[in-house]
Amino acid sequence: MQPPGPASQKFELPNIQYLVAVASGKGGVGKSTVATNLALALLKKGKRVGLMDADIYGPSIPTMLGIGDVNPQTTSFPIERHGLKAMSMGFLLGPDKAAVMRGPMVQKYLLGFLTQVDWGQLDYLLVDMPPGTGDAQLALAQTAPVAGVIVVTTPQDVSLNVARRGVQMFRQVQVPVLGVVENMSFFIGDDGKRYEIFRHGGGRKLAEESDVPFLGEIPIDPRVAECGDQGEPVVHRYPDSPVGKAYLALADMVDQQLRSGSQPKELPEVQL
Amino acid sequence: MAPSEPESMTPTALRKEGADHFVIEWGDGHHSVYTWRHLRSNCPCASCREEKEQPVNPLRVLKPGELLAPSAVSMPRVGRYAYKIVWNDGHDTGIYTLQYLRSLCQCPQCLQTKGAATV
Repeated sequence: MQPPGPASQKFELPNIQYLVAVASGKGGVGKSTVATNLALALLKKGKRVGLMDADIYGPSIPTMLGIGDVNPQTTSFPIERHGLKAMSMGFLLGPDKAAVMRGPMVQKYLLGFLTQVDWGQLDYLLVDMPPGTGDAQLALAQTAPVAGVIVVTTPQDVSLNVARRGVQMFRQVQVPVLGVVENMSFFIGDDGKRYEIFRHGGGRKLAEESDVPFLGEIPIDPRVAECGDQGEPVVHRYPDSPVGKAYLALADMVDQQLRSGSQPKELPEVQL
Repeated sequence: MAPSEPESMTPTALRKEGADHFVIEWGDGHHSVYTWRHLRSNCPCASCREEKEQPVNPLRVLKPGELLAPSAVSMPRVGRYAYKIVWNDGHDTGIYTLQYLRSLCQCPQCLQTKGAATV
């Protein structure tokens, strides 16, 4: 796949019903884990789902889906795994290469992933965003028909203070914020007791102060990391676990939010 | 979902008016009017902003495009929050957010408000 030509203006994706970004602003809160498991949860609800890795510099989706080395010259994209269609810079680069490029090239690859990959008919295309509020986020907001963004945070203030900026960024560029998810919310020990390792309540607090829905809590479960590293996400391997059920509930919330909300209004065209 | 932008930041129509003017109708009923020259000289792109911060050089050689009266060739939408103006002098890197466009309004009411604010 070649990067496309000059960055295009706003485009439509008539084959995709809902393009949803999974973002934060903050790094390390579990965006890729949430995006991957939410995608699989939506699949389990009978939706046709794609997963696009917008983290050009640090792509995680190939590892999370257990997709090994890929020959980009001979492979058709998107790649299907566990019923999902997926696209990532990781498929183009290989595990030991770095994407050394500035913003305009990042934008070109992201737009190429959206417009040059044959996604087919999808109910959902989830976009796993990188941390930050810069090139990738702007590229998406400026050109793609984004139905909404899910903001991921962990409970503690150091995460909230950055995730808050992520919410503001999407507000500024008029992308609807579907809600906030609190990841790594709590841990249930063998003793049955609940341990709030990273404190608790920050996600709900951010949702309330931002006047957006609180979409739910995802508990800490060591199997999440184990499954992610082994390429079989926890929703796929352990759907009946507390964390699996939390993702299935999140999928219901997201679907309900999108179906009950009004379509974001596009700007009028200019008559010159 | 998040609350939508107030009507004051929601344009309902944007059009050229005569050779020199541009009009935006806003959701709160405000009628903004601009000259192309005003919009061009307030381009928000990084290079224009930097150029404005430099002292004026009276001996600067003008570029050919600067001899034309400015006007927009096209104004594509940028997401749901801005418009890009492609100018007849070839310049096209300025992204004008809705808030910025509203702040540049040259209607008599806004000019009077800005004049009062600077007193």
